Amino acid sequence: MGNDNEIIDNIANKEYEFGFVTDIEMDVAPAGLNEDTIRYISAKKNEPEWLLEWRLKGLQAFRKQQLPTWQNFEMPEIDFQKISYYAAPKSKPKYDSLDQVDPELLATFEKLGIPLNEQKALAGVAVDVVFDSVSVTTTYKEKLKELGIIFCSFGEAVKEHPELVKKYVGSVVPHSDNIFAALNAAAFSDGSFVYIPKGVRCPMELSTYFRINTENTGQFERTLIIADEGSYVSYLEGCTAPMRDENQLHAAVVELIALGNAEIKYSTVQNWYPGDKDGKGGIYNFVTKRGICKGENSKISWTQVETGSSITWKYPSVILQGDNSTGEFYSVAVTRNKQIADTGTKMYHIGRNTRSRIISKGISAGEGQNSYRGLVQVGPKADSARNFTQCDSLLIGDRCGAHTFPYIESKNNTATVEHEATTSKIGEDQIFYLNQRGIDSEKAVALIINGYAKEVLNQLPMEFAVEAQKLLSITLEGSVG
Amino acid sequence: MTQQPAIPLFEEVVNGYNNLSASGSAGQESSDLRRARQTAFDKFRLLGFPTIKNEDWKYTNINRFLKEDFALDGIVAEAGAPVAAAYPKSLVEKAAIPELDCYQLVLVNGAWSGEVKGGPLPKGIHLLSVAAARQDPALSAWFEKAEWGNQHFATLNAALFTNGLFIRVDAGAAIEKPLHVIHVFTSDRNVLVQPRHVWVVGKNAELSVIESVVSSSGDTKIWANSLSEINVQTDAKVDHVVIQVSAPGTRLVHHTTVRQKKQSLYNNYTFTLPGAELVRNDLQARLEEDHTETHLYGLYLAAGQQLIDNHTLVDHQKPHCFSNELYKGVLLEESTGVFNGKVYVHQDAQKTNAFQQNNNLVISKKATIDSKPELEIFADDVKCSHGSTVGQFSEEALFYLQARGIGEASAKALLINAFAFDVTEKLKYPAVETYINDLISHHIPVAHA
Amino acid sequence: MLIIKNLHAGIEGKQILKGLNLTVNAGEVHAIMGPNGAGKSSLASVLAGRENYEVTEGEVSFQGKDLLDMNPETRAREGLFLAFQYPIEIPGVSNINFLKTALGEIRAYKNLPPLDAKEFLALSREKQKLVEFDAKLVNRSLNEGFSGGEKKRNEIFQLAMLEPSLSILDETDSGLDIDALRIVSKGVNKLRSEKNAFIIITHYQRLLEYIVPDFVHVLANGRIVKSGTKELALELEEKGYDWLKEEKEQEATII
Repeated sequence: MGNDNEIIDNIANKEYEFGFVTDIEMDVAPAGLNEDTIRYISAKKNEPEWLLEWRLKGLQAFRKQQLPTWQNFEMPEIDFQKISYYAAPKSKPKYDSLDQVDPELLATFEKLGIPLNEQKALAGVAVDVVFDSVSVTTTYKEKLKELGIIFCSFGEAVKEHPELVKKYVGSVVPHSDNIFAALNAAAFSDGSFVYIPKGVRCPMELSTYFRINTENTGQFERTLIIADEGSYVSYLEGCTAPMRDENQLHAAVVELIALGNAEIKYSTVQNWYPGDKDGKGGIYNFVTKRGICKGENSKISWTQVETGSSITWKYPSVILQGDNSTGEFYSVAVTRNKQIADTGTKMYHIGRNTRSRIISKGISAGEGQNSYRGLVQVGPKADSARNFTQCDSLLIGDRCGAHTFPYIESKNNTATVEHEATTSKIGEDQIFYLNQRGIDSEKAVALIINGYAKEVLNQLPMEFAVEAQKLLSITLEGSVG
Repeated sequence: MTQQPAIPLFEEVVNGYNNLSASGSAGQESSDLRRARQTAFDKFRLLGFPTIKNEDWKYTNINRFLKEDFALDGIVAEAGAPVAAAYPKSLVEKAAIPELDCYQLVLVNGAWSGEVKGGPLPKGIHLLSVAAARQDPALSAWFEKAEWGNQHFATLNAALFTNGLFIRVDAGAAIEKPLHVIHVFTSDRNVLVQPRHVWVVGKNAELSVIESVVSSSGDTKIWANSLSEINVQTDAKVDHVVIQVSAPGTRLVHHTTVRQKKQSLYNNYTFTLPGAELVRNDLQARLEEDHTETHLYGLYLAAGQQLIDNHTLVDHQKPHCFSNELYKGVLLEESTGVFNGKVYVHQDAQKTNAFQQNNNLVISKKATIDSKPELEIFADDVKCSHGSTVGQFSEEALFYLQARGIGEASAKALLINAFAFDVTEKLKYPAVETYINDLISHHIPVAHA
Repeated sequence: MLIIKNLHAGIEGKQILKGLNLTVNAGEVHAIMGPNGAGKSSLASVLAGRENYEVTEGEVSFQGKDLLDMNPETRAREGLFLAFQYPIEIPGVSNINFLKTALGEIRAYKNLPPLDAKEFLALSREKQKLVEFDAKLVNRSLNEGFSGGEKKRNEIFQLAMLEPSLSILDETDSGLDIDALRIVSKGVNKLRSEKNAFIIITHYQRLLEYIVPDFVHVLANGRIVKSGTKELALELEEKGYDWLKEEKEQEATII
């Protein structure tokens, strides 16, 4: 295993493969954040008055809040006035058929491996595509409609199903929740909306693909998923962005609502541009994701594979309100070069007999810093609540770091909470064993990493598990994929 | 600068500091020590008393305790030999450990009379009151460390301390019998007492110390803000037991910094039992050189409305060090337990082995536990792990015992003792182990939900 | 096939091999015996290329090439196989996926086309049968939760799959009960051919009743102090190793 350093260098030097820019005419709002910007966005989208009011409340909350200081990294300075809050392809914002989509756009998504043509599309996956600030197209819409499933852009939902949006938007992540959630409430551009009616099991994976293209813009999408009683949905998001020297801000909000006996499975494969090897450029991924298990026996499961972004800062959480409800969080986060990931989850046990399970696998290479930060809170009424947390960190190279900050708060004498964490170096003996069977160190590392992350990858829908596995290998292997 | 005018104690310590600076007592200290006091005090004025907004005090709200009036104890009027105040002898009897062959000494509000029970001290160990040591040019340097980070209470003590115990063990001296130091806190008015203790255990020396903390019950409130520095030199071995059994009116805040040199060994056992409404222990082990070994064991048994908070830090600065930590908590009645254990591994500290475990037994419906084990790791060739659990009695074990004819209360008591056993069995002296087990048993009948 | 000349090697500055000579030809089975701490396992590690061992003197040629110049995976691809004394566990990596990767790499090195899934599966079934390896274990994570015996049998299964020219069995018999020992030996005997060779490192003569060696060498104090045929193993069994030490000391005084 004499080429340890080589592997580490390779890992540190790997190029980002989705870094190209699409040349397309864009409608871009002037930089800056004020009431006029908000009105501009709202007007562009022909929004009703109540939504504009809500946005303005968000702006007020944003102005009152300050950037947090508790994080485990140096917070970059963000000039919120230098960001443009709206950018959309200039031609018709929504297409009736694929023929009307700009061929340049279609080509872009082909290149990203997301064919929009339904014949070519992944069987069993409906895709909503968000390009900078707007949703471009949604596939398989008609088929889903037959079952009463609503899967469309957020903007469309505001027009077509205002009662649902009005009832649930901000009900899990209030407009004043935190500074980035407030910013999103004020300036959110588009996003996906899903409603699964009572008793319906969504027959295909629903997926949104996010792409940041335009310079100096932020992406502020908002996703709202409602699973009505006894329904089931599996949803997946993926994301990429061009390579740019400036940092770009992504401050999304995701709200999940699971009513009685409903189940939502939410998976993320996050591959935003991570910046170059000196830490220049890259996306600031500051996202608020929260779900509520409102009804009895409901379940929300978060799975995330985080390989991109220069800073990732998010804690997909579950409020376990309904009795017997279940929350899960499965995460693999890889940091290399100068990437920072501060991620984890919060499980709020409120109802009786609620269960939560947290599996977090951190991998740090190069000068990457990886922190797990999690909260398990058991309230006085959450009798017989149970939590299990396993949190492992793997270190590759001696310049990276791995940190674990679990918070356990229990106010119930019938609760059982278990947290375990380990930190270790990638096993030299394991690499040597694989070497001895003819496998080179680079491949050996990839094999070991994938094995290490298996428990999480297994949670992903089949098609994406394969993708994610490849992504992990590529990210760490050094052989450009 | 933080102004905390709403807190009477803040004003009291500001005045106290001015009095101390003006008094002749501080005038006889080295200029470096006086400078260190000033630095510490400036820092404290900046920090003020902690609130729940400070991450380190997130779960420990001391607001309700700070509303009371306290007078500073021991600042003025100190000329010549310090005289220990009168104290109820029953407290010392309570703290004495039956059948333990030891050297026993009593500190009353931090002041030591110079008396040692249990025979003359052997060669190689030197005890001195801090009131004298701080004015001794040869020893003054041990008090001059001014950097206490953001430790509110440590800076306050470093600014205002006047007394305590200084222990020195010569290089190569192995002190066979343990030293039993009984800290008595007593007063007929509300006071803030701030003893500071320094131990210097020389190269290849061995020392075993048992500290008991007791206080008089009554209506008066005593706030003891202690600061201990334990210097463990190369190849030295230190065994350190702390037993906190004070009365409800007492608030104990105790900061301990341990500095370990090459190949040294330090064992700490901290037992906190029902009594003092507020107990906050900060135990920081700084592993400043390589190949050290550190064991931190803790047991907290909280009852009533008690809040017991243990914050530990194991700071791995150099390679090939081993640390192991086990803290166990039993929460009864309406008590709150807080555990925060941090293991910090610097980039230089390759080949670190660090383990940490916190287990909690929540017995009563209204008890609360907040546990936060942390790992911060900047070196790759390490083996570190931590774990934390919150749970109850194993129903199966309880049933098994009951099926053998043991009543529920006794069965629970048995299981609590068994839970604590993992910690008590680590004790070096059987007499201490028996004493602690008896203390635990004594508190359990009052105990469950 | 393998020529070791005057090999000196050590670990963390401590000399363990002190001038070892050994020649192994195709078709031969060599047993290396010796007391604990003689350097038997160190020899296996040095030949496989474990990084923490440092070779200070001597040369090793494998099929005409300089073995010491190669990294561990190249040695494996050239046909050197080490059955580990303590096979490591790798959680999450399935046995079969691992073997597929390894075989693929070795075949690519030899400019052979990769086996498709069907061919690979067929090969795997055939070899499982040959060495009596439980199909259930094939799909589990690599050695994870395997018993000591299962791990050793997995080593032999891998040996069968990868078809190396030189196999080094490092104390494969340690921790095996008699049934497992018989199965392992049977597997090895089936894999013996005119084209390959084996080095069997063992402390006891027991294994050699099942795998009959052509040559037996005694390794003591970092050198081969005595060589002979299988009868030597019996002699060792009877007398232990102490008489060799005396013999060697005499030799040393003569020199």
